[in-house]
Amino acid sequence: MAIINQATKELQVKIVYYGPAMGGKTTNLVQVHDHVQTAAGNKGKLVSLATSSDRTLFFDFLPIEAMTIRGFKTKFQLYTVPGQVIYNTTRQLVLRGVDGIVFVADSQFEKMPENVESFQNLMDNLQSLKLNLHDIPYVLQYNKRDLPNVAPMEYMEFLLNNREVQVPSFSATAHRCEGVFETLNMITRLLLHKFINQSVPQYA
Amino acid sequence: MATLPQISEEDIQKLDETLREFNASADATVSLIIDKGGFLITHQGDSEEFDLTTIAALASGAFMANQTIAGLVSETTFNSTYQQGENQSLFVTNVDDHCLLVVIFKSDTGVGVVKYYAATAIKRIARQLKIAKKRAPDESLDLSMLNVADTQYFFRKKEKEPGGKKRP
Repeated sequence: MAIINQATKELQVKIVYYGPAMGGKTTNLVQVHDHVQTAAGNKGKLVSLATSSDRTLFFDFLPIEAMTIRGFKTKFQLYTVPGQVIYNTTRQLVLRGVDGIVFVADSQFEKMPENVESFQNLMDNLQSLKLNLHDIPYVLQYNKRDLPNVAPMEYMEFLLNNREVQVPSFSATAHRCEGVFETLNMITRLLLHKFINQSVPQYA
Repeated sequence: MATLPQISEEDIQKLDETLREFNASADATVSLIIDKGGFLITHQGDSEEFDLTTIAALASGAFMANQTIAGLVSETTFNSTYQQGENQSLFVTNVDDHCLLVVIFKSDTGVGVVKYYAATAIKRIARQLKIAKKRAPDESLDLSMLNVADTQYFFRKKEKEPGGKKRP
C-alpha cells in the first residue's frame, strides 16, 4: 500500500521483483542501481541481505527518488524476494504492502517448471495476504535471453501470460542491462495508471 | 489494492509532537514511525548520521520476521524487539495493525525507560492514525494531471561512461 505524506509532499511506492531462484532478480536491482540517472543524493544504497554465496537470504532493497508529480516527490522502493523454495515465509513478508510486481522468469528451457511453480507461489502468497494478482499491477520479464538453451518467447507467454488479461512482457539480459529499464518503466507506468484511476473514479 | 491513505499535515504535526516529547522523556536519539511494509512515515530526533529509509525497510522486515517466529512457537506477545549495541541500541514496538515505532537510543540509556515512555507514545500514535483513517478512509491523491505517456522515461539509463568500471 503506497504511502502519501501530505506534510512532506512525498509519495512512496513499493515494487517487488519476484521469480524463481537464480532468475536474475538481484541482477535487475544491481543494474538499476549502477545505471540509473538521478540527481545527486536521490539514489539510496543497494542493501543486500545475502548468504555467503551471494544468494538472497531475506531481500535486496533499493530506494530511488524519481521525478516530482504535481509537487509530490515520488520515492520508489525496489525489493527482491529470495527465490529458493525454502524461503517462502520470507517472500510473504516482503510482499506485505506491495504496490507493483515484476515477475522475473528464467528463459532456459529446463527452468520452465520452476517459473510456473514460482508464479503459482506468488498467487498463493498474495492470497494469504488477502490480495489478488488481478488487483495489483504486474509485468513479466523473460530474462537470460542471451543463453543458447532458451525457450521461445511465445512458449513463455503461453505458460506465464495466458490469463484473461495479458500483461506487458519483456525479453531481457539483465546482466547486460538489456530490458531492465524497459521493465521498470512499464511497471511504473501501470502503477501510476492504477493510482490515477483510483483517484478520479468519475472518469474510470 | 487498497486506495492511497491520506496522512494530513495535521496528522504529521501531531505524530511529530508525540515523537519529540517521547525523545525528550526517554532520551532517545531518533524515533521513527514506520509502516509494516517498510515505509518511513515520519521521524524526529538527531537523524543526520542515519539512513532512515533503509533503517525503516530493515526494521520492518526484522520485526515481521520475529512476529512470524512468534506464530511458529504459538506466542502472541512478541510485540517488541530490542537490540543492544555498544554505542547505540534499537527498540522496535508494535503500534497497530499497520505501524511500528522504531527508537534508536544511546546504549547507556536504560531500555526500561524507553519501554516505559514508548507505551504512552504508541497509544497516542495509534489514536492519531485512527483519527486520520476515520477522517477520510477512501480519499486519495488526485494525480489526474499527470501525463502517464511520459513515464516511459521515468527512469533513465545513464549514458555509457568510457572505461567505466565493470562488475565481476
